[in-house]
Amino acid sequence: MASDNANLPGGKITFLLFFALVNFSFTIGIHNDNFSEELYVKPFSSGHVMFHFQFTTVWNVSIDKPESFQHYHLFPKSLGDVLTTYKVKELHLSQTQGLWKHEKWGYPPEDAPPGDELWVWFQPHSGVDQTWADLVNALSGLFCASLNFMDSKSTVQPRWSFRPAGLASEFYSANSRFVRYSTLPREVVCTENLTPWKKLLPCGSKIGLASLLNSVKIYDGFYHSLGVHVRSVCQDTQCLTPATELKQTLTVVYDPTTNKNGKQDWSFQSMFDRTLQSQCPLADTRKIYVDVTTQETLPKFSLSPVPDFVLNQKRSGEERKIAVYQIGNHLSPSSLNLKAMYEEKLTFSNSSLPPVYANRFVTGYGLERGGVTCMIYNTMSSNTTVIFMETVPWFLRVYFSSLRIENDGKEIKPYKINFIPAKDRANPYQMELVFRLFANSVTKITYSFERAFLKWTEYPPDANHGFYVSSAVVSTVLPVASQYTATSQSVSLLEESFSDSSSSFFLRLHTETLLVSLPTPDFSMPYNVICLACTVVAIAFGSLHNLTTRDFTASDPSKRKGLVAKLKSFFKKEKESPENKPDSKEEEIPSQKDKDNSKSEEKDSKKKDGNSET
Amino acid sequence: MVLPTAISFVCGVILRLALFRSSLPDWLSTKTEVVTPLTSWGRAMEGLALHREGISPYSGDIFHESPLMLKILGFISRFSPNTINLIFVLLDIIQGMILLRIANTFGRHMLLRQATSVKNYHPDAKKNLLRKEDLMDLQFYVTVAFSFNPYSIATCLARSTAVFNNIILLLALYQMLKGNSFLSAVFVALAAYISMYPIILCVPVAVHYFLMSRKGGMHYTDPTAVVSYLQILGVTFVSLAIMLLFSMLFVGSWEFIPSTYGFILGVPDLTPNLGLFWYFFTEMFEHFRTFFICVFQINVVIYTIPLAIRLREHPTFLFYMLLYTIGIFKSYPGYGDVGLMFALLPLWKHVYQYMRNTFVTVCMFLVCTVFAPIQYYLWIYAGSANANFYFAISLAFSTAQILMATDLLFGFLKREFYLHNGDKHKLPDGTDAQIILDS
Repeated sequence: MASDNANLPGGKITFLLFFALVNFSFTIGIHNDNFSEELYVKPFSSGHVMFHFQFTTVWNVSIDKPESFQHYHLFPKSLGDVLTTYKVKELHLSQTQGLWKHEKWGYPPEDAPPGDELWVWFQPHSGVDQTWADLVNALSGLFCASLNFMDSKSTVQPRWSFRPAGLASEFYSANSRFVRYSTLPREVVCTENLTPWKKLLPCGSKIGLASLLNSVKIYDGFYHSLGVHVRSVCQDTQCLTPATELKQTLTVVYDPTTNKNGKQDWSFQSMFDRTLQSQCPLADTRKIYVDVTTQETLPKFSLSPVPDFVLNQKRSGEERKIAVYQIGNHLSPSSLNLKAMYEEKLTFSNSSLPPVYANRFVTGYGLERGGVTCMIYNTMSSNTTVIFMETVPWFLRVYFSSLRIENDGKEIKPYKINFIPAKDRANPYQMELVFRLFANSVTKITYSFERAFLKWTEYPPDANHGFYVSSAVVSTVLPVASQYTATSQSVSLLEESFSDSSSSFFLRLHTETLLVSLPTPDFSMPYNVICLACTVVAIAFGSLHNLTTRDFTASDPSKRKGLVAKLKSFFKKEKESPENKPDSKEEEIPSQKDKDNSKSEEKDSKKKDGNSET
Repeated sequence: MVLPTAISFVCGVILRLALFRSSLPDWLSTKTEVVTPLTSWGRAMEGLALHREGISPYSGDIFHESPLMLKILGFISRFSPNTINLIFVLLDIIQGMILLRIANTFGRHMLLRQATSVKNYHPDAKKNLLRKEDLMDLQFYVTVAFSFNPYSIATCLARSTAVFNNIILLLALYQMLKGNSFLSAVFVALAAYISMYPIILCVPVAVHYFLMSRKGGMHYTDPTAVVSYLQILGVTFVSLAIMLLFSMLFVGSWEFIPSTYGFILGVPDLTPNLGLFWYFFTEMFEHFRTFFICVFQINVVIYTIPLAIRLREHPTFLFYMLLYTIGIFKSYPGYGDVGLMFALLPLWKHVYQYMRNTFVTVCMFLVCTVFAPIQYYLWIYAGSANANFYFAISLAFSTAQILMATDLLFGFLKREFYLHNGDKHKLPDGTDAQIILDS
């Protein structure tokens, strides 16, 4: 550029060129990001229908360089500031209500446990624990969630289960010092979490696909999950420079058969109580996909309006038909009310099971001991290796010696174990096991625990409701994409994930949360307990004090007064003491009825003296 | 009396062996009255499992045994379950043997002491004097009290590691009676190393050491006396320090200190037992917690001072009383401590006639022992009772222990008074006088 400038004659032209250059670079600075909105609809054979909204912002700046996080355009500044301030490398937050049923629904696009889950990779720096504490506080304000309760008691550093999902150097995969994982299984997700989530969208909630997100209807669903995922991705296929991707997802599952006379009919109007009126002008991709793979099998259904085209895609050999709608083509003349009309009522049948899924439950009875059993099912005809991760709060004292992995009655030796025992009121039990799942088999993981007795202030207000234990996490790499709907790791959009020829699909699934009752003290009587226990100590102290400080003496039993006599004399003394004076002459004063002044008393005494003399 | 002693000893062993074949041990090993977080076999095995996996057992909050115990238990746990049961019976046999030796030495020790101080006794006190025949019976009574003592049997069946602590305490007492005060001090240090509180037992050992070497009417505050106390204290603390140092070298860090002694002092585990701590600190207001923990921990050891002054002539009884107060007031008491108290109780057989509340106390012990598991079941399993029911039982049990201890002390002091003043007390006017405690 300098040589170009030197060749040009005249200051005016130079100035103009300079201005143009500045202007050019400035516009590049603004428009180095893009935004897409997508909706993926998938009807399940169980009669449920899933709507998965995915809003993806890709910004061509690196998250590793906080100074480049300037001139925000589509990327939300509120979140960007938090990410740079707390040196975040990667952030994954999900807020979920309800349980995803893997056996019926296959795999969700974003698997999430009930409640809140947050896992963050930090950029290498010292004092990660403090940064994490600050970050969860900032995020709890940003998302209106109780994330600030993710303290050391519920936070772990997984070694193998949570690798960076995006672009990261080798350093991260060898080091778990900079990752933090925490869940809040008790957290209730509701409209106050949806509102701040919507605010992060470039188009807000008034236009575009986000306008469908009617909280009244969304929280009517069987399952809904909000997700915010920030990671590094490649800017282009060469992958020389990193970009930052923000993916906001909302998955909601409805059961239309309950109020559609047994039919699985669904439409925007009936599911969201509104139709799509507009599209987000800032978005590059604005598409709706409907999975119509099962359209021709019973019960048949038809879509209205007719899709723009139907994709016949193969993902690792599994054929899928996706009906695609460009939103812009369907908004005029009227708004888009996407509908599926079924010909017949739903007949319930056994859906095909996903390759790997898990169930977990509490065993035992009483409030003293118990156990946890997790069944991991492998329906594939090949072996696979899984990582099982479990975080158990400290008040369930997990016995490592009771940990068993069994398959068909035979004990399995795990390849690797990472067990970190809990410290009371400091950190939870963390367990990561790597082991083999045999083909077409069920693997059972069991361990037993002992319930701790908490202080009365450590119980929640409804103490007898019980305590939640967060979901276990099962991570594996599947060789087939059967029922797999997640976005491929190498791409950002759903659209790009439908066709995939790879043969390894990373799967992370969450089991059920557990509810465990703990023995409770009586909350009504702290004072009584303190008094009674202190009384017993006082009995000991008093007796021992008496016996060690006093001597035995002989006394006259006739002179010993009983309790009544003692009391009487005590009160007598009390009565008399204010009037009596400790004077030897007092006894000689005949009466004190006459209240003379001191002089008359003197006279009296003189008289008496005289009397006594006589 | 040799035959009955042998028979009852053998019967005790057979009883334990027979009960190990029943389902009782499994049941007992989960009873919080019998095993505490400090002495539970299950927790010890968990610590060993972690240790074998290369995880420090002290990084968690299940294992609280000292490193030496980790080593011993690691050795024992290599055997089959049946052999481990046998080992625990064997440990009880060892306890019984030491008790027999203690009873034997104790008799001689008492006669010896009586002989030296009989010149100070009142002439009327002749019939209160100990006789050799009575002391011969001691072995029999101690054996019966140990062999058929439900608390000792329960501790053995539950495979509580309190057995080790008890053996060491008995050894300390035995060596003290034998006159090996320095060895006794080492055992006291060992007991303190395992369960911390027995450190106060170095006081009776020191007093005993001084009494043995006393010449003439030397006073207790004499510089020579102080030197002899310091010798025992020195031996105790130096051996304790050496043990701690070796433990550190064994596990490689000091992290066992907060996990063992910190755990005893701070009372973070509020599992119910028959002590005073658990419910008190469950229901404690948070800002008073530290204060009351200090108060309750001081309460365990504070009795050392008045008792040591009052019982300065009787270090053996002082030893027993301190053992008793530790058993009542320690942060995690179990039946192991109660069993030890009852096994040693027949040593003070000659004091029984001066005790006043024996009947009430025995009834309280019986009722509490029977009701404790019932109330626990109703609270934890049936859900038809709440924590207060079990708390009431634990309070009553502590009260029974306190009554027993104070009654024994009362009887002991009264007997001493009678020995020195005779048991006929006339007032100047010739009527019978009453003996009371007076300031």
